[in-house]
Amino acid sequence: MTHGQRGQERRGGRRVVVVGNGMVGSRFAADLLAHAGQVPVEVVVLGDEEYAPYNRVLLSEVVAGKVDVTGLDLPEPDDPRVRTHRGAPVVAIDRAARCVLTGGTRPGAVAYDVLVLATGAAARVPDLPGLEPPVRRPGATRHAAEGPVLPAGVHGLRTLDDAREIVAATANARHAVVVGAGVLGLEVATGLARRGVGVTVLHGGRTLMDRQLAADAGHAVARTLAAQGVDVRTGARTRRVVVVDGRVRGVEVEVAGEDELEPVAADLLVLTAGTVARTEIACAAGLTVDRGVVVGDDLASPDDPDVYAIGDCAQPPEGGSGLIAQGWDQSRRLAATLAARFAGSSGAGSSGGGPSRGADAAAGSLTGSAGATSGATSGATSVGEGQRPVLGTDVVRVKATGLQVVAMGVCGARRAPDPAQRVVSLSDPDGGRYVEVVVEDGALVGATCVGSPDVGADLATLYTRRTPLPADPAQLLLRPVAPAAVAVTSPTHMPSRATVCHCNGVTKGDVVACWKDGARTVEDVARATRATTGCGGCKDVVCGLVDWLRADDARPAEPDQAPTAASPVPTV
Amino acid sequence: MTAPTTAAPRFSEALGAAPTPEAASAVRTHCPYCALQCAMTLTPVVPPVAGGPGRSPAGSGAPPVTVAPRAFPTNRGGLCQKGWTSATLLSVPDRLLVPQVRGADGALHDATWDAALDLIASRVTTLQAEHGRGAVAVFGGGGLTNEKAYALGKFARTVLRTPDIDYNGRFCMASAAAASNRSLGLDRGLPFPLADLSGTTHDGLAPGAQAVLLLGSNLAETMPPSVQHLEPARAAGGLVVVDPRRSATARLTDDGKGVHLQPVPGTDLVVLLALLHVVITEGLVDAEYVAARTTGFDDVRRSVAAWWPERAETVCGVPADELRRVARLLADASPARGGRGAYVLTGRGVEQSTQGTATVTAAIDLALCLGLVGRVGSGYGAVTGQGNGQGGREHGQKADQLPGYRKIDDPAARAHVAAVWGVDPDSIPGPGRPAVELLRSLGTPDGPRALLVHGSNLVVSAPDADRVVERLRSLDLLVVCDLVPSETALLADVVLPVTQWAEEEGTTTSLEGRVLRRRRAVDAPGEARSELWLLAELARRLGSDVAFPTDPAVVFDELARASAGGVADYSGLSHALLDAADPAEQADPVDASDPAGHGAAGLHWPVPDAHGPVTGTPRAFLDTFPTPDGRARLIAVDHVGPSDDLRPDAPVYLVTGRVLQHYQSGAQTHRVPELERIVPEPFVELHPVLGDRVGVADGETVELESARGTLRARARWTDRIRPDTVFVPFHWAGEGSVNRLTTDATDPVSKMPEFKVCAVAVRAVPAAAEGSR
Repeated sequence: MTHGQRGQERRGGRRVVVVGNGMVGSRFAADLLAHAGQVPVEVVVLGDEEYAPYNRVLLSEVVAGKVDVTGLDLPEPDDPRVRTHRGAPVVAIDRAARCVLTGGTRPGAVAYDVLVLATGAAARVPDLPGLEPPVRRPGATRHAAEGPVLPAGVHGLRTLDDAREIVAATANARHAVVVGAGVLGLEVATGLARRGVGVTVLHGGRTLMDRQLAADAGHAVARTLAAQGVDVRTGARTRRVVVVDGRVRGVEVEVAGEDELEPVAADLLVLTAGTVARTEIACAAGLTVDRGVVVGDDLASPDDPDVYAIGDCAQPPEGGSGLIAQGWDQSRRLAATLAARFAGSSGAGSSGGGPSRGADAAAGSLTGSAGATSGATSGATSVGEGQRPVLGTDVVRVKATGLQVVAMGVCGARRAPDPAQRVVSLSDPDGGRYVEVVVEDGALVGATCVGSPDVGADLATLYTRRTPLPADPAQLLLRPVAPAAVAVTSPTHMPSRATVCHCNGVTKGDVVACWKDGARTVEDVARATRATTGCGGCKDVVCGLVDWLRADDARPAEPDQAPTAASPVPTV
Repeated sequence: MTAPTTAAPRFSEALGAAPTPEAASAVRTHCPYCALQCAMTLTPVVPPVAGGPGRSPAGSGAPPVTVAPRAFPTNRGGLCQKGWTSATLLSVPDRLLVPQVRGADGALHDATWDAALDLIASRVTTLQAEHGRGAVAVFGGGGLTNEKAYALGKFARTVLRTPDIDYNGRFCMASAAAASNRSLGLDRGLPFPLADLSGTTHDGLAPGAQAVLLLGSNLAETMPPSVQHLEPARAAGGLVVVDPRRSATARLTDDGKGVHLQPVPGTDLVVLLALLHVVITEGLVDAEYVAARTTGFDDVRRSVAAWWPERAETVCGVPADELRRVARLLADASPARGGRGAYVLTGRGVEQSTQGTATVTAAIDLALCLGLVGRVGSGYGAVTGQGNGQGGREHGQKADQLPGYRKIDDPAARAHVAAVWGVDPDSIPGPGRPAVELLRSLGTPDGPRALLVHGSNLVVSAPDADRVVERLRSLDLLVVCDLVPSETALLADVVLPVTQWAEEEGTTTSLEGRVLRRRRAVDAPGEARSELWLLAELARRLGSDVAFPTDPAVVFDELARASAGGVADYSGLSHALLDAADPAEQADPVDASDPAGHGAAGLHWPVPDAHGPVTGTPRAFLDTFPTPDGRARLIAVDHVGPSDDLRPDAPVYLVTGRVLQHYQSGAQTHRVPELERIVPEPFVELHPVLGDRVGVADGETVELESARGTLRARARWTDRIRPDTVFVPFHWAGEGSVNRLTTDATDPVSKMPEFKVCAVAVRAVPAAAEGSR
C-alpha cells in the first residue's frame, strides 16, 4: 500500500475509507461524490476481491445460465477523488491510530478520518459433519476475510468465483442438492434444473421460503417447482455431508417421523442456508457486534462516531434485511449525512440532498434467510428526509424462470396475529397461485404474491408508493379481465352511438344516416362522413356496416334495427 | 346523424376520381396543425376575382375554401378530423381583424397599425433605455413558418439585441433535441422517412419494420394518419407501446399485434434500463456495430447491471418477464439478428420530465446497442409534435441557438450569421434564459419588463399556469401576435392580428426533417398582416438599419445562406426549387402513376448548396455520425424519479396529454364547432377502483389538487388507466386547465418542464360547491 499513516486526530478531515468494494461499498463511493458536489473529499475503497465491483444479486442468474458474467460489472467511480484498491483485504482496524491495516498481497496501513464498513456477508456454512473441521486444500492460503475452505463439490454462492465454480461443476454433475429453500435456494434450484441437472432441495422448515411466505404460498411454490422436475423436501434437516477423498458424494437427511437418516446422493452441493455478516475486524476493534455491526439510525457505531457500517454487515435498529435495496438506501443516506458534515465543517455549500427521490424497492435477494434480522421488520417505515430509511425497501422478488414470487412488508414469518391488520387472501394451490394482502389503517402494509405476475407487479408499486387502496381490498387479489375492444364483429349489435371512425368522430348512426341519404359504397360513406379517411384503421368495420346495410335493404320486411341506440354491446 | 358543418370533403379526388371544374385554382399545401403536416389541397369556394386569391369572408361563418386530403408519403391520402375541418379556422367569428391597444379604461380597443406599432416602439425604446437591452424578451412558437421563426430570432438579436428569446418548443422538443445532439451529433426528429417504418418509401430500400418501440406517444390520437406506417410491425406482432394509459395507440397492440407496457408514471426510464440490461446480459447486443460505430459501451453496460428486470418491476410496475419478452422481441427484429428492422421512437410522454434527456438518452442507447441507428430500415427518432416544431428549433428561436442549428456561443457560428445579417458579431447577444426560467423572471428585478409573444398561448400551455398569469400581469408591456383573442392575447397591452396557414406563403419542416411548402389560398381578412411585415415595421421604427425583407421567398433565401455549413443546412433549397418538385398549380389529383405522392415529397435536410442536382438527406448517419470522432455516444444514465412524487396528501399521479379533436391550447380547435361538439370540455380519466375509493362516480365533478393549484372537471371512469393515476387533457383554460397543476421543475440538461407527471389529491366536490360550477 502506498498510503502512509497520516496525522492522528484530524477531526473534521475528509478522508473516507470504505472497507468493501462490493455492491454497497462501490455504490457508496459514487453516492458520496455525487452528494459532496464541490466540497472536497477523499475516498479510498479497499476490496478483498481482485474483481471490479459486480452485481452479486445476479449470481444466481449466472448459475441459471440466463446472464453472461460480463453483464454483472457495476460502475466504478472514475474520479480523481476516489482511489480503489482491489485484492486489499482489511485485516484490522486501529481505532486509536485511526487507520486500517491491509493484508493479502498489499499489506500496509491506510489512515482514515471516517471509516465506512461495507464488508457484506458470507454464506453460512452449517455446522455439519463433513464440513467440519474445515478442510484445507493443499497449498491453499487463506486470510481472515475469506470464508472456510469447503470440500470439492460444495459451494456457497456469494462471489463470482462461487458462481463460476458451480457453473463449471454443472458440466459433469449428475445430481445436485441445494440446502436451504430461501430465496437464493430457490433461485439456484430452478437455475440448476434449467441447466438440466437433477436437483433436490432440502429445507428444514415446514414450507418453502417460510421466512417470507405463509404456508399456502409455500405450497404453491412447491407445486410449481415440482412441475419443473425439482425434488422438493421440506421438514428435511441435513445432518451430515458425505465426503470421500475430499469430494462430496451426498448428504444424509433427517426426515420428520423417520428414525434413520436418509441418504441423498449428490456430486454438487450448494449451501444456501443463509448468510453471516462479516464482522471479524469490527469485533476485534472493540465495536459492538450482534448479528452484524450494530449501528444507530445514523448508521454510526455507538462506540465510535467516526465508524459507520452499511449493507449486509450492518445491523441497524430496524434489522438487516439482506436485501440490496436496504444497503443502497443506507448508502444514499450516509452519503448525504457525510456530505452535510463535510460541508458544515468547511463552510462550502454541498450539492444538497442529491438524488434521493423515488421509491426504489430494489428487490435483489442476497440471501435466503439473512442472518441479521430478528423479529418483524417493519416495511412501513415512513419516508423522512435524511436519516430514515426509504419505505418499501423490503420487497423480496425471486428471480427464477417459470416461478413468480414476490413478498413485501408484513408477510410470512413476519406476520404475527395483529387485530389491527386485515388479511385477505386468494389460495389456488392447484394453479400454483397464492395472493395475500395485509391492510392496516387503509394502507397496504404487506403482501405476498405467487404465480400471478401482473398482480405481483401492481402490489409492489402499490406498497412502495402507498397509493390509495380499493375500497374493498379483495380487489387487489385479481387483475380484472381487460374488456375487449368494442365488439365490432356484428354490425347488428353495435349501438348506434358507437364510434366507428375515431379519427373523424363518425358513429355507426352517422353511417346509417348517410346510407339512408343514398350512399351505397364505402367510398360514398367516406365522402359523406370522412370515415376511413384518417388512419384507415376502420375500413373493415365500415365495409361490414355497408354490407350489413345492403343486406338489410334486401329484406324490406325487416324492421329497421339501426337506431336502437342504447342497446348495450353484448359480450362475445 | 349530424351532417358535417363545414365544406363537403372531396375524398374522391384523393382516390383518383376526375378533377372537378374548380380544381384549376386548387392550392397544394399542408395542414395547419401537427408535425405530420398532412398534404392537403385547398379549393376556394368563391371563384377568384380577376386572378387573385379568394378573400376570406371573415365572420361570415362559411369557410372560404374546401379541404381535401392529398396523397403524400406521410399521410398517404388521410386526414384526421382536425385537418378535415381546418378550413373553419379561416372564418372563425372572433378572428382578430385589427390591432388592439389596451386603453386607460383597462379594455382593449381597436387601433391602427401605425398607432399600435408606434406605441410598441416607443415603449420598447423607453424600457431599454431605462433598463438595458434585456428589458425586452421574445417568446416564439413551433407553429411559425421557418421564415417567421428565422425573422423573429434575427429581430431579437439584431434589433432588440436582447439575449432573451425562447419558444414553446422548449415545452415539447428540448429533451429529445438535447439527447440526440449529445448522443448522435444531430437532432432531426425522425432521421429517416416516416414511410421507412411501413416500407413504403419510394426508393424501396426499407422493408418495413418488424418491431417498433413507441415510448410516451399517442400517435393514434395526435397524428392519426401516421398509424398506417405501423402496419408491418403490427402484422409481425412487434408493436410495443409504453404508456401508463391503454391509449388508442396502446390498443393497437391488442389481438396479438404487439405488447403494451403500462408503467407507473415517471418510470419509463426504468423500463428502458431494464431492456438494456436484458439485451446486454443475454448477449443480444450487435457487438460488431457497437465496436465500429459507438463509444461508451462499457459505461452503459456497467450502469445497467443494477437494473435487472425483477428490480425494475418493483419500481416501474411492469412484470419482469414482460420486460424480457420485449427486449427479445426488439433484438429479434434487429438487423444483426436477421430481423427486418426495428425502430425506437419517443414522444412527449417520456420527454416532458425532469429526467427527459436521460430517458431519451437511454432510448438511444438501446437503439445503438441493437445496432439500429444509421441503418436503413431501423433507427431512433423523436416524434415531433407542433406543426413546425422541427423547423422552429433550427432557425434561431431558441435561447442558445443561431440559424442552421448553430450554437450561439460558437465564435465561428456568430461570425457566419453576423455576416449574413450585416452586423458586427460582437453585437449579437449571448445565450438567454430557457423558456421556464424566462417566464419565471418576467417582471422581476432582474427580468424582462416587456414580452413579445408570437404563436403561443402561454396562459394555457405553460406549466404552473397560475404563476405564468401572475408574471405576465407584472410586465410593463405585453405584446401578443395571434389569430384569435386567445387567453394570452386577452392579457396583452397590444394585440396584433396576424396571418395564418392558408393566408401566407412559406415553409415548414415536418417531423421527418422534410422541408415543405405552405401556400396561400386566400387573402387574410381585415387588417391581419404577416409577422414578417410587422417585424420589418418595428425594426424601422426602432431605428435599425438591418434589412428585414417581407417576401417569404426572399427571407427563405437569407435563411438558407445563414444556415449554410450548419447542422441544419438549407443552403441548397429555395421556394423555387421546392415549387419545381411540387408545382402549386398542378391539378388535383396527383399523377395516377404516383399514388403515394412521392413526386411532391419535398426534401429532407441537410440540403447543402451543391453543384449539380440538389438532393436531400432522407436518412442520416448511414456512414458516420456528425460527432468529432464520427461515432455515436453511448451514455450511462440513471433513474431518479419525478420531481413532485407522491406524498400522503397527494397519493395519486397526474399525467397529461391530448385528445384527437383538439390541438395545443385549443385556441384554434375550440373555435371549430364540429370538434368542440365531440369534446366540449376537459375531463379527468380515472380508474373505477379509484373513483369508487374516493367517492367520485362516472360523470360527476372531481377535484384535483397539486402543490400549485386545483382543477375541477367531469370524471370519466375508464379501466384504460392505472388505478394510481389520473389523466387530464391540457387543451383548456379556466377551472379545467390542467397546467395550473403541473410543475415547472425542469430537466437539468434540456430545461424542459415536467408536464407529464406530478402528485395530486383526488376528491369529490361537495354537492353545494358543484352547484356553483
